[in-house]
Amino acid sequence: MHFFSNCYNRLQGRRGWLLLVLLALLVLSGWNLSRLDIEDTIVAMLPDGESQVARDFELLQQSPFARKVVIHLRADSTAAVPLLNATTAQLREALPEPWFVDPLSGPVQIHPQRLLNDLLESLPLLLDEGDLAQLEQRLDDEGVELTLAENLSELLQPQGIFVRERIRRDPFSLYLAALDKLRSVNPLPEVRIEGRFFVSHDGLSRMILADTPVVITDADGAKQLLDAFEQARQSLPAGISAELISGHAYTLANAEVIQSDMRTLLLVSGGGLLLLFVLLIGKLRAVPVLLLPFFSVAAALLVVSLFANQVSGITIGFGAVVLGITIDFALHVYFALARRGSERPEMLRLVARPVVFGGLTTLAAFSVLAFSDLPGQRQLGLFAGAGIVAAVLLALLVLPHFIPRTAAVVPGVRLNGKRSLLVRFPAVRYGVIGLWAALCGTSLLMLPQLSFNGELRQLGYLPDQLQQAEKSLNQAWGDVRGRAMIVVSASDLEQLLRHNEQVWQVLGDQQLQSEAVSLAPLLLSERTRQQRIANWQQFWQQHQAPTAERLADLGTGYGFSSRAFAPFFDHLEQIPAPTDLTALESWGLGELVHALLQEDENGYRLITLLPDRPEQIAALLQPDVLPAGTVLVSQGVFADQLAQEIVADFYQFMSFAGLAVVLLLGMLFRRVTDVVVALLPALTGLLVLLGGMAWLGLELNLFNVIASLLIIGLGVDYGIFMVCHGQSKEDLASVRAVLVSGLSTLIGFGALTLAQHPALFSIGLTLLLGISAAMPTAILVLPALRRQQQ
Amino acid sequence: MVTMSVAADNNELEVVLEQLKAAAAEVETLQSTFVQEKNLEMFEQQLLSSGRMLYVQPDQLRWELLSPVASGFVLQGDQGVRWNGVSQQRQRFSISVDPLMGVVAQQLLAWARVDLDWLRARYHIKILTTEPVVLELTPIDPGEAEFIAHIQVTFDLVQDYVSDVLVLEHSGDSTRLRFGDVRSNDSIAPGAFEPPEF
Repeated sequence: MHFFSNCYNRLQGRRGWLLLVLLALLVLSGWNLSRLDIEDTIVAMLPDGESQVARDFELLQQSPFARKVVIHLRADSTAAVPLLNATTAQLREALPEPWFVDPLSGPVQIHPQRLLNDLLESLPLLLDEGDLAQLEQRLDDEGVELTLAENLSELLQPQGIFVRERIRRDPFSLYLAALDKLRSVNPLPEVRIEGRFFVSHDGLSRMILADTPVVITDADGAKQLLDAFEQARQSLPAGISAELISGHAYTLANAEVIQSDMRTLLLVSGGGLLLLFVLLIGKLRAVPVLLLPFFSVAAALLVVSLFANQVSGITIGFGAVVLGITIDFALHVYFALARRGSERPEMLRLVARPVVFGGLTTLAAFSVLAFSDLPGQRQLGLFAGAGIVAAVLLALLVLPHFIPRTAAVVPGVRLNGKRSLLVRFPAVRYGVIGLWAALCGTSLLMLPQLSFNGELRQLGYLPDQLQQAEKSLNQAWGDVRGRAMIVVSASDLEQLLRHNEQVWQVLGDQQLQSEAVSLAPLLLSERTRQQRIANWQQFWQQHQAPTAERLADLGTGYGFSSRAFAPFFDHLEQIPAPTDLTALESWGLGELVHALLQEDENGYRLITLLPDRPEQIAALLQPDVLPAGTVLVSQGVFADQLAQEIVADFYQFMSFAGLAVVLLLGMLFRRVTDVVVALLPALTGLLVLLGGMAWLGLELNLFNVIASLLIIGLGVDYGIFMVCHGQSKEDLASVRAVLVSGLSTLIGFGALTLAQHPALFSIGLTLLLGISAAMPTAILVLPALRRQQQ
Repeated sequence: MVTMSVAADNNELEVVLEQLKAAAAEVETLQSTFVQEKNLEMFEQQLLSSGRMLYVQPDQLRWELLSPVASGFVLQGDQGVRWNGVSQQRQRFSISVDPLMGVVAQQLLAWARVDLDWLRARYHIKILTTEPVVLELTPIDPGEAEFIAHIQVTFDLVQDYVSDVLVLEHSGDSTRLRFGDVRSNDSIAPGAFEPPEF
């Protein structure tokens, strides 16, 4: 560590040059920041590459409802129901462009007679083998007699005028089986159609669906969208409410709560840190210590921008928070140099050892992030690593020149007093060790109760009002936004449709067809088309003559003429009308078809929606159940997978970081006892963090995992400084430095527990629990244990 | 001359319609039997059927065929049940969801209560004779106009209720309903709007 004392001697008297370097660093970093593309989505915190979680997340975004704005209108009582349709139409018209595009409050207007004719023209394609088997059972004498009687009965009713041609063309009411196929593409399971409105099963709700050009993660755009909606709903009559449900509402709520949190946190932590600074340091000359983290962040930004054009907003935000801890290096240097101004190179040499190794262990802890599957975490690893290296270098090379040489002995808590207390009163020592052991034991016992939560939504702020609105939407319409998807991909359409038909078959085997939304019954592969036509022709070759004879013979008894059903038989030989995209569009299904069938440069993708029920999803995920080339994406499964990734990351990080830290400590101390003692604050911090979370009934999430690396970094730093302090003949003021740095971390990060945003709260809680245990372990337990050794 | 003639016709129609409306306003309940004659191409002979009709203002209706097959529907407000004696099935419906039943039920209700606004919105109305009053209605709605050429409605000479309805289709098929035993404001038996059990 002579390097740093030599550097100190060489750089003495060159403060101007050092200031220039710092200024250049700030300017360069600021310029880089201005041209950086900052990504503010959660995507960076999801695994990338070929991982299943990354693929599933990308597919979940393709869900037909994922990017729609849903407006749910509800009457608070049946008295307001008569106004609902008119109010819905009024609100739909009042939704302004460009925020709302193509708002839809009901199905596209379809001419029912034309649709019926089209369905009848396509009967050979729409009726599958099961339908033909059912029809066959109705073609005997008894079945034909019943058909004739039913038709006569219907013709005699007032509506008979409108159904006569249909009966002539389709005496066996095969159109009902065809209509049933249309139900398979109904994405709103609890909906019924009244006129041109979607109506909920209880009749109290209406729905408007709209597209919007506003990207879900765009907070400013979301605000304008929601303001436009707020303006539009001003004219709602009493008794009718309207809520907008979309990702935008969550984006805005999160942005607003983070802004509000930041104001509170800056006030609380800023005030707290200032108070701590005044009380425990109390000197204006220590201001450079406070500035060091800013330069660390600037250096980190510069390094990250050299490797990436796009930086995650989470990396910058969380990274800046992480680098707040680099003030610790500055504090140790400051306290060591401030005590003995006249022997500065020697003191710098002595304090450089724990600072460098503290920096290296923290660097090792964060370097494991480089192996993460999450791009945001890898970037954070680079950011934190660069910042830590910069902080160590700045603390040891630059900072000493900005601590005035006239510094006197710092007043404050007397270290010797504490030492003597432990010497004079062994009971205190044993009490400290006993309390520590009890804390560790209790935390250890709580560990099995700790669980992991991979639910992405839990990482964001979920306001009660929005949760209530979503709950109300689900109660009225079923879970329209949270369904699982089976995605079939293929480079050509025919292959795609064949795979999709296999999926539909599987859903039939699993009794799920009635709840699924699929194009399979309508959009047929060429192979199935040919098969259906062949089946139809074969069926009627066998049944046409006897059926015609029965209808004629038995029909006479009911008064039917011999030509009554001629149109039916005339059409049996005709080539069926295709049920292709053009046909589906003409039936008013265009928008839905294009939401389910997607095309990109890689080929085609077809989506089937189904209820996201764990037991059914688990059955479909069994090996060899779904055909090859299909992917089942479920939000529930996705959360489980993400949780597994988080758990795997957690164990991997802890193992790698632990190994690297132990190796570095071995290099530093070369004695097992010292290594173990130096590790105690970090281990205690982690144990209390995990045990404390279990005790509080909290689940470990993505942010806890990253924040726990801070516990390792800081805890090991405390351990190193305290062990070095114990070994050194000189007083490095480590207890004081650890106390101040620990308290500053507690104030700075602990204030985050006041945040409403779950991610900020998670980080705050992690640090609060961990550092609350690690810091007292370092300054109380370690000296107590050392006394015992001695 | 033509303009004057049209204006005179319109005045006459307005007077007649207002008289019918005034008479209908007095009606709380209405019940009658009917005979239906259908001349359809798909049948060898004329189809004869008979049934009964009940109406309680403002929106309760029972339309029931008693022979040759039992079938019909009851409607209370927006909701109804129809039945078919052949298949022994009952089926609930809502006139706002089932457009076909909606048109039929609204049509029957409109005549029972002489809902002029509704009728004018859906038909061009022409008066053919005044004693008895015979109206000719031509559908405006394209869906209905696709099937029906026009409807002739004859009112009873004395009591201003509908006594005869003739529906003529473009195909040449026709349906005639003759109402008899018409009683207005008589008490209606409890359960009259319950569908039959099978």
